[in-house]
Amino acid sequence: MPALLELQQALREQLFGDAAGGDHSAAGVALLAGDDGALRLAIYRNTALSTLVNALRLSFPAVRRLVGADFFEAGARDFIRRNPPRSAYLNDYGAGFPGFLAGHAPAAALAYLGEVAQLEWAVNRALHAGDVGRLDLARLAALDESALSHVSFTVHPALSLLRLEFPVDAIWRAVLDQNDAAMAAIDLAAGPVHLLIERNAAGVQVRRLSAAAWDFTARLSAGTPLSAVLADQPDGEVDAWLAEHLALGRFIDFSSTTVTATTGAAGETRS
Amino acid sequence: MAGSAHSVNEHSLIPAAAGIGLRFPHHELVVQGRPDVAWFEVHAENYLGGGAVRRVLTSVRCDYPLSLHGVGLSLGSAEGLDGQHLRRIADLVRSIEPALVSEHLSWSVVGGRYLADLLPLPMTEEALDVVCRHVEQTQAALQRRILVENPSTYLQFRHSTIPEWEFITAVAQRTGCGILCDVNNLFVSASNHGWDAEGYLKALPAAAVGEIHLAGHALRTLDNGRTVRIDDHGSSVAAEVWALYVQALRRFGAKPTLIEWDTDIPAFEVLLDEAAQAATLMRAVAANHACAA
Repeated sequence: MPALLELQQALREQLFGDAAGGDHSAAGVALLAGDDGALRLAIYRNTALSTLVNALRLSFPAVRRLVGADFFEAGARDFIRRNPPRSAYLNDYGAGFPGFLAGHAPAAALAYLGEVAQLEWAVNRALHAGDVGRLDLARLAALDESALSHVSFTVHPALSLLRLEFPVDAIWRAVLDQNDAAMAAIDLAAGPVHLLIERNAAGVQVRRLSAAAWDFTARLSAGTPLSAVLADQPDGEVDAWLAEHLALGRFIDFSSTTVTATTGAAGETRS
Repeated sequence: MAGSAHSVNEHSLIPAAAGIGLRFPHHELVVQGRPDVAWFEVHAENYLGGGAVRRVLTSVRCDYPLSLHGVGLSLGSAEGLDGQHLRRIADLVRSIEPALVSEHLSWSVVGGRYLADLLPLPMTEEALDVVCRHVEQTQAALQRRILVENPSTYLQFRHSTIPEWEFITAVAQRTGCGILCDVNNLFVSASNHGWDAEGYLKALPAAAVGEIHLAGHALRTLDNGRTVRIDDHGSSVAAEVWALYVQALRRFGAKPTLIEWDTDIPAFEVLLDEAAQAATLMRAVAANHACAA
């Protein structure tokens, strides 16, 4: 009699592994009562795969339109076999799908497919990220100039920043709107786009930033202290960018490394 | 509990009435129209994030009694529960304070991978120990009793030694959890394995049954010509399942009864009709009991 863990490992192999759909003499099938265990296991395999294909379909609708339903299904099944989810929270499943598509030989003819998938994953994250409190602007305002310059921010979990080689925001909208005229008007050689993806009260927003504003935002989002970001940023627009980020709640927290007078040691405060 | 955001007093219990499984296509209709439904149940895994979907859940929780039905804890995993997933469920339970929390007698996770279906367990002493340990761990993390649902299964294991009805009864007795008796699952499994469905119902401890599920199922013919009943939640409740539901009501008394529909989700009115049918049977059985008493 196999231990429960061995049985579960054997069934995983039957459902998702190399033996999937093939080797009916394998360990998993031998555990099943009756003479048609393999046929019965196939019911579970079909349900599991269709549940996961559906999860990817919901997260990557533009990719699916671009490649067609059959191609998408085949690619998704291939991805699922290689990368089964690590959690039952399926809104979190698919982070690796853009990278898989970018390296997926049958999709090589669509050079921007992987980047469209990257944008869709960022949109999915923006849709489902947890709700968080807003940054306390009064606490930020109470900092003196020295403390303020040492502030580093925590970015909202729904916010993503993408620098993409193709005008993927335009492609994505044209595909989802099924707007062939808009699609035909897109200049694929127009150069990279700098995107900010976020969630506000109206829903998910995909915005194009200037390269300078994107760099500024990306460095702040990575936790680089404000003083260091400002030192490298000669542009006079940074005050406006920072004000917009704070007003729109793009940062949810901050910390400031300051020299405290009483101990003379570096201390950290967190809002 | 004055000042509670959730009207805790009003909606802290699921009534012994017919409720409906709330799915995304009906979110707007329910939030805007507040239809006359006794209670709703949702799948916990669909509401672990934030944003618009979570706002819907908070709104529904304010307007109706709410039951939270987990599909991903994998109570039967030999390797132990996914601690991160359990914490996420516990956070959701703390946040929305549902009237009921339930999970399944099944497993889905091995090697840290989620296999995306409610897979059958071998009915062994080892599996019983594993499930009981995980029910206790879950109840401790959530700081409340849960209900455990009998699964629909399409296969059995050679080395199973415990009938499913004894297995789930033992889980309830050892852990103090309740039983969610899914009458459709019971019928599907009994048909697929040649069990006596009424005998199964009679073997369950009536006092432990806290909820009943009803759903539609499908018939599929395997390549060898045999027919299997598939629990696809894609149609009306079958006549045989309504008949078994009446047996369940006679045995357990009136219980919160849920209509589930997950594939080819119909217009909301169809679900209201199914719920009305369950409510009618509940009243009829109660009236018969009163006459017999």
